[in-house]
Amino acid sequence: MIFEKRTERIVLAIFFVIALCIPLFLEDNSFFVGKVTTILILAVFVMSLDFLVGRVGLVTLGHALFYGLGGYLFVILTPEYEAVNFWVYAIYVMGISALVALVVGVVVLRTSGIYFIMITLAISQMVYYFFFDSLEFGGSDGLFIFMKPDTSIFGLSFLDLDNPSHFYYLSLLAVLITLVAIKIILRSRFGRIVEASRLNPERTEALGYNIFAFRLISYIIGSTLAAYAGLLFALQYGYVNPQFMTWEMSGTALVMSILGGMGTIYGAILGTITYEGLLYIFEHLSDDWMLFMGGSIILMVLLLRKGLAGYLEKLLEK
Amino acid sequence: MSRIKTLASAVLATTLTAGLSTSALAAAGDPVKIGIMLPFSGIYAQLGEAGRDGLKLALKEKASALHGSPVEFIELDTEAKPSRAPELASSLLNQHEADFVIGPVHSGVAMGMIKMLRGKDTIMIIPNAGSAAATGPLCAPNIFRTSFSSWQPSYPMGKVALDKGYKKVYAISWNYGMGRESLDAFEESFTAGGGEIVEKVLLPFPSTNFQSHVSDIAATNPDAVFTFFAGGGAIKFVKDYDAMGLRGKIPLLGSGFLTEGTLQAQGDAAEGVLTGLHYAEQLDVPKNREFREAFNTEYGHYPDIYAVQGYDAGQAIANTIGQLEGDISDKQAVISTMEKLTIDSPRGEFTFSRAHNPIQNIYLREVKDGVNVVQSVAAEALEDPARGCKL
Amino acid sequence: MSTELFFVQLINGLQYGLLLFLIASGLTLVFGVMGILNLAHGSMYMVGAYLVWYFVAVTGSFTVSAILSAVIALGLGILIERVLIQRLYNRNHLDQVLLTIGMIFVFNSLQSILWGNDPYGVAVPEALSGSVPFTDNSSYPVYRIFAALICIAIAAALYFMVSKTRLGMLIRAGESNREMVEALGVNIKSLYTIVFAIGVMLAAISGIIAAPMRSIVPGMGESVLITCFVVVVIGGMGSIKGAFVGALLVGVISTFAAVLMPTMSNMVIYLFMILVLLVKPQGLFAK
Repeated sequence: MIFEKRTERIVLAIFFVIALCIPLFLEDNSFFVGKVTTILILAVFVMSLDFLVGRVGLVTLGHALFYGLGGYLFVILTPEYEAVNFWVYAIYVMGISALVALVVGVVVLRTSGIYFIMITLAISQMVYYFFFDSLEFGGSDGLFIFMKPDTSIFGLSFLDLDNPSHFYYLSLLAVLITLVAIKIILRSRFGRIVEASRLNPERTEALGYNIFAFRLISYIIGSTLAAYAGLLFALQYGYVNPQFMTWEMSGTALVMSILGGMGTIYGAILGTITYEGLLYIFEHLSDDWMLFMGGSIILMVLLLRKGLAGYLEKLLEK
Repeated sequence: MSRIKTLASAVLATTLTAGLSTSALAAAGDPVKIGIMLPFSGIYAQLGEAGRDGLKLALKEKASALHGSPVEFIELDTEAKPSRAPELASSLLNQHEADFVIGPVHSGVAMGMIKMLRGKDTIMIIPNAGSAAATGPLCAPNIFRTSFSSWQPSYPMGKVALDKGYKKVYAISWNYGMGRESLDAFEESFTAGGGEIVEKVLLPFPSTNFQSHVSDIAATNPDAVFTFFAGGGAIKFVKDYDAMGLRGKIPLLGSGFLTEGTLQAQGDAAEGVLTGLHYAEQLDVPKNREFREAFNTEYGHYPDIYAVQGYDAGQAIANTIGQLEGDISDKQAVISTMEKLTIDSPRGEFTFSRAHNPIQNIYLREVKDGVNVVQSVAAEALEDPARGCKL
Repeated sequence: MSTELFFVQLINGLQYGLLLFLIASGLTLVFGVMGILNLAHGSMYMVGAYLVWYFVAVTGSFTVSAILSAVIALGLGILIERVLIQRLYNRNHLDQVLLTIGMIFVFNSLQSILWGNDPYGVAVPEALSGSVPFTDNSSYPVYRIFAALICIAIAAALYFMVSKTRLGMLIRAGESNREMVEALGVNIKSLYTIVFAIGVMLAAISGIIAAPMRSIVPGMGESVLITCFVVVVIGGMGSIKGAFVGALLVGVISTFAAVLMPTMSNMVIYLFMILVLLVKPQGLFAK
């Protein structure tokens, strides 16, 4: 069993049961299906960040770079008025993102601690401004994706991306795969070495492991997952904008991950749902939603020491 | 605390729409649903609030034209964030089933909204964002604009500069849609008349570090400077221009937003600045005086250009419903009625072009004693060329 | 670019750099002593600007308003440290980041509620409103020279405080050995409160000084925050001297970049920072 904790199993069981049923109840309301889809996509993004920050120990404030890149790469690679195969292009996008992550990783991993936070921030800001100030890539107005890709595999088509429910299940599948993949990685020998190098880098190094290489590979994995989430987000509404890769986007994801319980992975799902849920309620409640949102964040930091997952574990683990 | 809506009603509305969504065939007597997608927080918040207030005033004044239909407003804060635009537009379209959607201010947000709303049954009315694309390549039967295209306020300024005898002009703005399109429009008419753009500088948006550029202008010593900046950037540019001693030596011309809603903050630094715009607060039109007093009575302060544009969006809705005698179930009829309207705007009457952009006067204004004083009509009934629009 | 214009732009760049130093100094001080990365630092800059605008409108005097605003900021700093920051000293750094992000939301919201969303400007105080001849057809405003001098004075005062006074000694000791300072009978809690409050006040003072030169608009805090990070990272986190050098470098480089390649200029300071970190992974003056 890759999910060791009771709390984790309970939370995930409840989540997936509800998540599987949502489109059935809300079939007529494409807004809600779309809204929950966005949350699922964000959850993938936040999980990939949680893996890097909470487990590998790489606190990045530039993760949204890859989220935005996922969408932009798709627009750049595909012909404007021709439907391409989703799976093929998802692989292209992730492959190129992995290469970008390799280059960026080699640069940023030379630093550590607070400097790592800042250099990741700087690189993502640079790429952000590259797209923001460009003429070819739509500048600050962004670009449209005119054709939804088709999703057939060997001629068989299961999913129609124009159908909100189908897109929803594609995103839910991404959540499941990301969750299981990260869990398997963490339980593997590779994962244990990565964790050891977070907890005790000197000792791990002394045992003959090349920490740099392990961190670099982890960085590439996390970044590629983020790019996949970004690709889904861009495809959901067929629209990319440089604002997807701002530092505020990275910061928000970090907030979701810390709220959920840093490093717990399933907590990232909890954190994303809670943050988006609160935002939705406060925005409909008052023009001054920022005050409530900020107040809730402050209260949660003060009251929940290890995030929502930590709180639930205290209740449920005996 | 009128700002606070009750949680109960929000939750109730949510569950209701979630449970029983019906097709939106609004018959007379059903509420007219107007979705508002404007920024109420962040740097554009003031523009969003003004637009909303103007809109609501128009619908209140014209309540009788609505044939007894109550109006229901659904307000969503865009925060001027493009990434949330499609989702919010989807909420208005699919969840609230709005008949009309008013928004936005920011043209990146406009792109996201257009993506969601283009070709749908909901009528989208843009009360500010001037991006050429919205009534150009992306124009659509259900997309209207009551503000301006970025081309409109700047194009006539090229001729103004020529008439003043300026031969060499330094053009400077931000490197984004509105900035680029404004400078291009100026250049189009200015160079056609034999003028020369000696330098064209596009700064990263929204940088306001202008001092070094003002020094560069001083060193270049052109006949005049043409610029587009707005809001905080407009204040900073005009202040830097004055502080470095260029005011009074090299004339400063601009798209009208350089001195809109910013004059108080700019103070003396703005005196003598020449701008072109489709409105001026002191415009001598009966409708304008009437509107300004009505707005002040309602909200306790005088309106600005953004309020006018929101007000005209409200007028467009009310007049359309009035002409259709309250039945807006046929969206085709709504569109063909709205595009034939003549709006009695505080800026003077205007009609819609084939691309649904206002055909309107552009006024030449000069700042005197902290007021934009109208000098002349720089261009009468100016129509945006709507390049790329296939309507 | 002519030699004359080169020097003109150099002066513009240095002046901008000095202001950047003032904004960044509080950030680096708080980080150096307390190890706290205060993302709400930009909000304090915004608070300073809005306060001085408000008081100038009420009292009409820039000097009175500036002093009032700085004192209020100091009080605000003490309050925030006592009520919020203090609870997080033995927590993960990321909890502090989260807390200060929450504070950004709260301050932005308060700004909108208290002062509305119109853009504002503060007039240059009468006594400093003149200008001196500069080039053929431009002049240099006295207020901007004055602002630059204030920034230099504050830099000197900070340097003196940290290296020569008893408070500075405690700060330096507290950075390296928290337990030792406590063993000496010094109340480290009060020391941290003072340092944090000074950091907030420095941010507010930079907002006050910038107010007559810049526009006072919602979101102005976030726009300086990231540039501040670049400054302190280049200089070395926690180093006042580093922040000074970093600020001048960033000021000059971004000024020249803005003139020579305006469309690319946003990227240039980040590129510069990345290059610095590749050569010196801890910044120029890391301890």
